[in-house]
Amino acid sequence: MKNSISQIKKALIEKKISVCELYDEYLAKAKSCNNNSFNLVIDRENNISSINDSQDRYDNGNPLPLDGIPLGIKDLFCTKGIRTTASSKILSNFIPNYESFVTQQLLNDGSIFIGKNNCDEFAMGSSNETSYFGPVINPWKNKNSQKDNLVPGGSSGGSAAAVAEGSCVASMGTDTGGSIRQPASLCGIVGLKPTFGSCSRWGIVAFASSLDQAGPLTNCVEDAAYVLNSINKHDFNDSTSSNHQREDYLVDINNSFEKKIKIGIPSDYLEDVSEDILNQIDNTKKALSKHGIEFVDVKFKTTEHALSTYYILAPAEASSNLARYDGIRYGVREDGESLDDIYLNSRTKGFGDEVTRRILIGAYVLSAGYYDAYYRQAQKVRRLIKNDFQRILNEVDFILTPTTPNEAFKIGDKLDPISMYKNDIYTVPTSLAGLPGISIPSGLSKNGLPLGVQFIGNYFEEKSLLQLAALAEKELSFNE
Amino acid sequence: MSDIDIKRISYLAKLKLPPEKEEFYSNSLKDIIKWVDNLKKVDTSKTEPLHNVTEKTISIRNDEVSKSNSVDDVLSNAPERAQNFFKVPKVVE
Amino acid sequence: MSNNWEMVIGLEVHAQLKTSSKLFSSSPNQFGSEPNENVNFIDSGMPGMLPVMNFGCIEMAIKTGYALNFKINKHSVFERKNYFYPDLPQGYQISQFEFPILSEGYINIESGDDKKKIRIERAHLEQDAGKSIHDIDPKYSFIDLNRVGTPLLEIVSYPDLSSADEVINYISSLRQLLMYIDVCDGNMQEGSLRADVNLSVRKKGQELGTRCEIKNLNSFKFIKQAIEYEFQRQINIIDGGGEIEQNTMLFDTSTGETRAMRSKEFSHDYRYFPDPDLLPVNLSQEQIDKIKPLVGELPQDKLNKFIDNYNLDKDIAKIIIAEKQNANLFEKMISESTVKPKFIAAWLVGDIFAFIKENNLEVNSLNDKTKDITDLLRLISDDVISNKAGKEILPKVLNGEGKPSELVKELGLEQVSDSGELEKIIDEALVGEEENILKFQGGSDRVLGYFVGKCLKATKGKGNPKLINKILLERLKK
Repeated sequence: MKNSISQIKKALIEKKISVCELYDEYLAKAKSCNNNSFNLVIDRENNISSINDSQDRYDNGNPLPLDGIPLGIKDLFCTKGIRTTASSKILSNFIPNYESFVTQQLLNDGSIFIGKNNCDEFAMGSSNETSYFGPVINPWKNKNSQKDNLVPGGSSGGSAAAVAEGSCVASMGTDTGGSIRQPASLCGIVGLKPTFGSCSRWGIVAFASSLDQAGPLTNCVEDAAYVLNSINKHDFNDSTSSNHQREDYLVDINNSFEKKIKIGIPSDYLEDVSEDILNQIDNTKKALSKHGIEFVDVKFKTTEHALSTYYILAPAEASSNLARYDGIRYGVREDGESLDDIYLNSRTKGFGDEVTRRILIGAYVLSAGYYDAYYRQAQKVRRLIKNDFQRILNEVDFILTPTTPNEAFKIGDKLDPISMYKNDIYTVPTSLAGLPGISIPSGLSKNGLPLGVQFIGNYFEEKSLLQLAALAEKELSFNE
Repeated sequence: MSDIDIKRISYLAKLKLPPEKEEFYSNSLKDIIKWVDNLKKVDTSKTEPLHNVTEKTISIRNDEVSKSNSVDDVLSNAPERAQNFFKVPKVVE
Repeated sequence: MSNNWEMVIGLEVHAQLKTSSKLFSSSPNQFGSEPNENVNFIDSGMPGMLPVMNFGCIEMAIKTGYALNFKINKHSVFERKNYFYPDLPQGYQISQFEFPILSEGYINIESGDDKKKIRIERAHLEQDAGKSIHDIDPKYSFIDLNRVGTPLLEIVSYPDLSSADEVINYISSLRQLLMYIDVCDGNMQEGSLRADVNLSVRKKGQELGTRCEIKNLNSFKFIKQAIEYEFQRQINIIDGGGEIEQNTMLFDTSTGETRAMRSKEFSHDYRYFPDPDLLPVNLSQEQIDKIKPLVGELPQDKLNKFIDNYNLDKDIAKIIIAEKQNANLFEKMISESTVKPKFIAAWLVGDIFAFIKENNLEVNSLNDKTKDITDLLRLISDDVISNKAGKEILPKVLNGEGKPSELVKELGLEQVSDSGELEKIIDEALVGEEENILKFQGGSDRVLGYFVGKCLKATKGKGNPKLINKILLERLKK
């Protein structure tokens, strides 16, 4: 069984283990697991002063909230002096001279970074197969075909696999259309995407600015609260960062609800889904009903339009966000006779197929003659989707959905982009609405693979969302 | 849906697709655009576009200077530099 | 042959705002620094960097709104204009497109003897780009990003201008206004004010022709040359049976010719869309109202005041108000002294401006010498020294070589205004001049001049001419 942050902290306080031993243990695991979940691991020597400082604080009896906890960081967060690649060839030599806001908070709270997690290139993908550094392998195997390497989901596939394989206590991911929740589900761990505007985007390589949001991937719901406490802060340097009052997400997390809770299940989400997936919803419903929680049917009007909206807006923003990668000021420059050749060669050779495809989609939907029909229309539909969620969250406290439409699939299985995009069907609508969503493990499929369910809460109500997830987690826990 | 001019789109995106891949991307784009075409049916005549779910900001600076990095910090990742300039082949206007 | 043709011109004027920091980053907004000295990670387009708006730019835009009679929009939106250029680190320029901060303004300019109203369609805030330096190396360009993110206000006129002179009057008026409200330093040489000229030609009374845009002109001389060349170029094409192609032109300052920029395989498509890193600017009426008092006196207000209150001639008043610093200098002198404004004005536009021009000085550099200047002017207007002596002393005062009264003494330039002394000199001068005295008494006024000259000479030029005149007349009439 994997240890939770509070268990590890207890062991550190009681001197059952030193910070250094803890680091070595996880580092050894990170080096021995051959799942390609890291683009880079950091040797003990390069973290030794942080390790020693952390040990000092334990020795002096004043440890910080995440003191000594080894974390994996998605290779999309800029880390000062540590190579940051976004799993792309074009950034494969980039060493930032700045630290992202979110990772700075984690460092301030005493955590130690064990390495940079592999991910889909520029976070574009749902299987971690688009990485320049090769695919990540899901630590889970199909019990009916043990040989097959499965995808961990994406884009935070390395972050999910690293936690699942035990090479870090928790990891940081980013979620644009499901990139934390979907891999968490396929790797059997917890993944939280906070409300848009909770965690600063400053210093995170941008994919789609109006959707990107950082969040934790953890072994348990309580760990997610630990990390969220650290990273959920207002940042003046991100104009879309919200300045609402933050709460302590650990307080009350294990308490039951004082008021009566009503959860909506969108029935249209469950049309045409497999028995495996239906079972997850049924299990969850049964488990929580025991606690007096009421379930009702809810009906969205916009479900069928969410993926289309997302696959217009996200590529549009991405096509512009990725214009800065040109081989002029940083990154890999390809040779060329003229300046224009340098641009063309650096970009064409620097981006993989999926990134190229999304840049092209984005340029197309923004181009003259198509802007109104695609981009503007998608922005309008996005408002309808947001309104749809607000209407339903006026009737119920939370929404329960599957996280993914299927279990982890074989690497190389889904070649067609549209069938890949459909993986995000349950996570994308929440992203478009900007609402918080958490995926927790809910059971195993017939093939013995983990599956998850997603709870969606109202804006900035992460506290009650985590409380609900913790309650469900207790009932649904399963053994590997 | 009109045909997709893949040459023009890649020109706008500053990409030089290898000729053998043009058709691959062109078909892929066509499929995706066809797939998202269902949005056109949605009645949005009374709906304003939503750019961002955060609709208000407090991030408005006063006009004050602060310097937090050296010239080297900005140039340290440059593929080619000459003194404190970024260096590129001659730009012809 | 161009008699039947007229030109139709609209202008896009880019004014750099003189904020301390940049539009979306807190780097210094400063000209002339070492390469890439004023560049932070936002300016250089590093991954994950985000813009934060500088309210100083909004304030300056609002001031401009008042000065140029604009409608000041409470809601404006920053969008991304997407194109690739090595000067443009983000691969897009943040600008305003669908919702600019200012719309529908105008200014009045002079056209011949008349006033002409030039309508302005809009003005919006945007980021300036960096600079590529091409002339250091034959094969390479060098990129300096210092200018990246400098706030620009792009002021877009309607095609209301119809001659090079009008264009120059329009830009001069804009420049003057922007400098008055202290939002732009107006330094065209340094690129603080640049213009794109959209020009088309048509036979008088006919429909608008196809226009060409001449980019990035930063001096009045080049603007005039470029317009005249382009006008003729377009006429020649049409007269030769050709058609004008809509094109972006560059002006070659060495040949005085315009030429089309390397034609692009495809036309531009900037794919504007609202910048998802920024939220719309929403201003309250209160915020806008608060800025109104900061606008201060505009050139026209000053002109009226100078003519009505200080009794200046219009031509002189115009010279003084042409630049705000001139007007400020003038008003400072008036406030510090009791010398008549009209007298001060005459000296200011005459000898003082000449001195400034000769010595290549900033007008502002005289701000701490105004007391000395007006002291000198007081000596002149009180006849303590002659006009001529004043002209002699002025440069020394302006160079800070001493106080006017000391200089007068030092150089022995004080006028002799002692009537006893002058009477003695005059009496001596009249000795042996009986013939001329008779001529004068016979009605020959010319003789008076002769006597004044003779007396002045006898005083070595220091005699007070008015007094000499007076005493002479008394004597001669006897």
